[in-house]
Amino acid sequence: MRKKNVTTRSKVLVMRETRSAYLFLLPSLFFFVGFVIIPMFMCLFTSFFNYTMSDFSFVGIGNYVEMFQDEIFQRAFWNTVLIVVVAVPTVTIFSLWVGSSIYRMHAVTRSFFRCVFYLPVVTGTVAVAVVWKWMFNKYTGLFNTILSGVGAIDQNVSWLGDEKTAIWCIILILFTTSIGQPIVLYVAALGNVDTSLVEAAEVDGATDIQTFWKIKWPSIMPTTLYVLVITTINSFQCFALIQLLTSGGPKHSTDTIMYYIYYEAFKLNRYGFGNAMGIFLAAVIAIFSALQFKVTKSGSVD
Amino acid sequence: MTAAIEAGTTPDIIMEGPERLVSNWGAKGKMIDLADLWDDEALADISATSEAVVAACKSESGAYYEYPLCMTTHTMAINKELFEEADAMQYINDDRTWTTENFEKALQALKDHGVETTGVVYCGGQGGDQGTRALAMNLYNAEFTNADHTEWTMNSEAGVKGLQQLVDWCDAGLLSYDSGAVASDEIQLFANETIAMSFCWNAANQLTYAAETAFTPYPVAFPSESGTPELCGGIWGFGIFDNGDADKIAASKIFIEFICDDATQGPISISNTGFFPVRSSYGNIYAGTEDEERMETYASFQKWLGDYYNVTLGWAEQRTAWWNMLQQIFDGEDVQAAADAYVETCNTATADASAN
Amino acid sequence: MKSGVKHTTTYDVIVMIIMVILAVLFIFPVYWIVTGSFKDAAAINAAIPEWFPKNPTTDNYVRLFDKPAMQWLFNSVFIALMSMALTCLTAAMAGYALAKKRFVGRGLLFTFLVCAMALPKQVVLVPLLKEMSFLGLHDNIWAVILPTVGWPFGVFLMKQFSETIPTEMLEAVRIDGAGEIQTFLTIVLPIVKPGIGALAIFTFITTWNDYFLQLIMLNSSKNLTISLGIAKLQAEMSNDFGLIMAGAALGAIPIIAIFLMFQKYFTQGITMGAVKG
Repeated sequence: MRKKNVTTRSKVLVMRETRSAYLFLLPSLFFFVGFVIIPMFMCLFTSFFNYTMSDFSFVGIGNYVEMFQDEIFQRAFWNTVLIVVVAVPTVTIFSLWVGSSIYRMHAVTRSFFRCVFYLPVVTGTVAVAVVWKWMFNKYTGLFNTILSGVGAIDQNVSWLGDEKTAIWCIILILFTTSIGQPIVLYVAALGNVDTSLVEAAEVDGATDIQTFWKIKWPSIMPTTLYVLVITTINSFQCFALIQLLTSGGPKHSTDTIMYYIYYEAFKLNRYGFGNAMGIFLAAVIAIFSALQFKVTKSGSVD
Repeated sequence: MTAAIEAGTTPDIIMEGPERLVSNWGAKGKMIDLADLWDDEALADISATSEAVVAACKSESGAYYEYPLCMTTHTMAINKELFEEADAMQYINDDRTWTTENFEKALQALKDHGVETTGVVYCGGQGGDQGTRALAMNLYNAEFTNADHTEWTMNSEAGVKGLQQLVDWCDAGLLSYDSGAVASDEIQLFANETIAMSFCWNAANQLTYAAETAFTPYPVAFPSESGTPELCGGIWGFGIFDNGDADKIAASKIFIEFICDDATQGPISISNTGFFPVRSSYGNIYAGTEDEERMETYASFQKWLGDYYNVTLGWAEQRTAWWNMLQQIFDGEDVQAAADAYVETCNTATADASAN
Repeated sequence: MKSGVKHTTTYDVIVMIIMVILAVLFIFPVYWIVTGSFKDAAAINAAIPEWFPKNPTTDNYVRLFDKPAMQWLFNSVFIALMSMALTCLTAAMAGYALAKKRFVGRGLLFTFLVCAMALPKQVVLVPLLKEMSFLGLHDNIWAVILPTVGWPFGVFLMKQFSETIPTEMLEAVRIDGAGEIQTFLTIVLPIVKPGIGALAIFTFITTWNDYFLQLIMLNSSKNLTISLGIAKLQAEMSNDFGLIMAGAALGAIPIIAIFLMFQKYFTQGITMGAVKG
């Protein structure tokens, strides 16, 4: 673009393009700048203050130092990482498997399953959490009733009250509320793979697995990228389930950064400290997303 | 509410307890001093019910950030029929108190009778934590804070002994704990007869669950070594946010006075809450109603209302630290060490809060 | 659509069995909510679950409508629809500009958008709350709508869709003398329409479920959303599960119906755009 000998005519063109582009961008930028960028900078700015309900004094990087020394924050960080690292691949792989299993089925069956897996998404997290809490109940819950009924356990398990199981219960619920969207996407994407290519491959004697990796996988790559992005966002945001089910317990085993921000900022009114954690989380997610883009981009056949 | 305060969109009047009105928002300068509502007549009338109420509504600086309407004491409840079948009613005194020793005998009697789970010490969150606090504290008559409300003291010998006792009972199968449950879950188990007692009970709960319990929930005090329990209370009243409008503040005060002090409206307001008046002159406001008997029972617990330590600064941090500490000790961590760590967390929070 | 599956294999049978088991697991919560909403207090709290309400009652709904539940539902729908409409409109315009126009600052802007995209908006809740109160919008449903529209995910998605617009086509209409707005309406919109459909549903669902933002921004009873309303029905000391289930059913059933009605359109939308990237 930036050649030395730009003619006046193309300069005018670029100017005109720029003007019209920004006119198209204007409404979006208004909301983006107003309700994302400005709060983001306010967040960054106030993270250097001891900002509470009654105090606003500069503490430099004090909040950040405290954050890294805070053991609960460290637990919350690793719990968040665990949730993301477990949920993102399992959701992606499982929904791809379900998607590829049901897209070949009869239209009615396919519709049925698509709706079924979408149910937890549309039922809403709060309502789903209430039912799961009942199922996980130590004394009267469904899981303990079934498991002790078949003799798999001889003592009732407090699923949400045991350090070893609680986070996995959260991940399980998160999983059921996360796979709906990806499955719908994969069914659609697979249904749209160029059938002539698939048929040609089959004529050439390719196995199902070969056809999948050589033909289908590259063409659903954009969908996979999309699925990865939305699932990552979803998993990092895990908050409602924690607030409704465990309050971060037992023994901080289900604290996530998001929940800890909520706790510090809105329960203890330590806004500055909460904002510092917010900035840190933002940085982590940015790096994580950048990696995802890089990995999936280099893997896709453009 | 925090969000509303931060956003400056608070209502003029709010009904809350002293732990928020006085030691949180009041201490942070968000509330109006209601000293003029607390005239000599009110002061004398409320003091006659309990000095603890007056103390709770007054901040360290001497300002009254709450004008109280009603109060209750939190008790526990047992399944009367089940206790009778297990021959355990003998361990409860006529005045509904019992000793720690007899409580243990009752647990044993229930166990022998075949009750699988007698009670559940819930510690999955802060909901209804007054029950677990009262339980642990009363077993060996510990104090929750010092008298000045500046330090937390559950790591004292008596406090640790009480906590250790709970762990021991759980280990012996006499009691149960659930780090995944809060009070509302526990009450549900009580109501559907999975367990024989609830540690989170009061007059309002009895009314809520009256329709669905097929047994008699019998309120009792928390067991204590001395036989004299110190119950946790709830005090609810009004505060006025400092929204900077003198006319609105004056109007709010008139409104509060009408709701609380009007000879006809006052008792009606209180009976709507299902709790008891803070003014002794109101007498038995439930006399002659269908609630009379039930409310009389609960009123009899008022005399054991303990120190209202909820006004200690750092309260919110304490609540979280409490159930986390319970989770640790039930998970096998050393009780003294866990209690020390809990007290340290709380004291740090209290010191931080008073420094600001 | 029909691929060449000739006969049923063992694998297919196993798949079908797993699918059916999973289906039961996924349907159960909804079944439990709907039946629970018709149970009386004793039945819903029973230690031995009552699989189907023996004495069905509408009492829970009667009590639910004593509260401003319809207002909550209306608020939820309004927030979701308004966020959806504004997001789709702004994102379609911006996405087109980013994909098809070569302008000064394009690369920088796009990088900015992508970086901001993956951030949970909850991260900036405290300043957002301050900002909303400054604008006089705290405890107002617009406080939930505006930040949702600002989130750049939609722009990113629409940029991906807009890449599929043939540049020759745009040049052709420009030579014919069509104005920018006319080009956008007659060429761009029809091509990216499926993408808008996908974005619409995505925005609707996320907004509907965005519990955290609602929790912080909305306060007074008449301004609550249905999911916030349900959460607030859970009191500290007693759980009125019948009421909660009725609230949950009220919140879930309309949106399930919407999904059933629009699912065809939704899936088509994704098919044509995202796949080609």
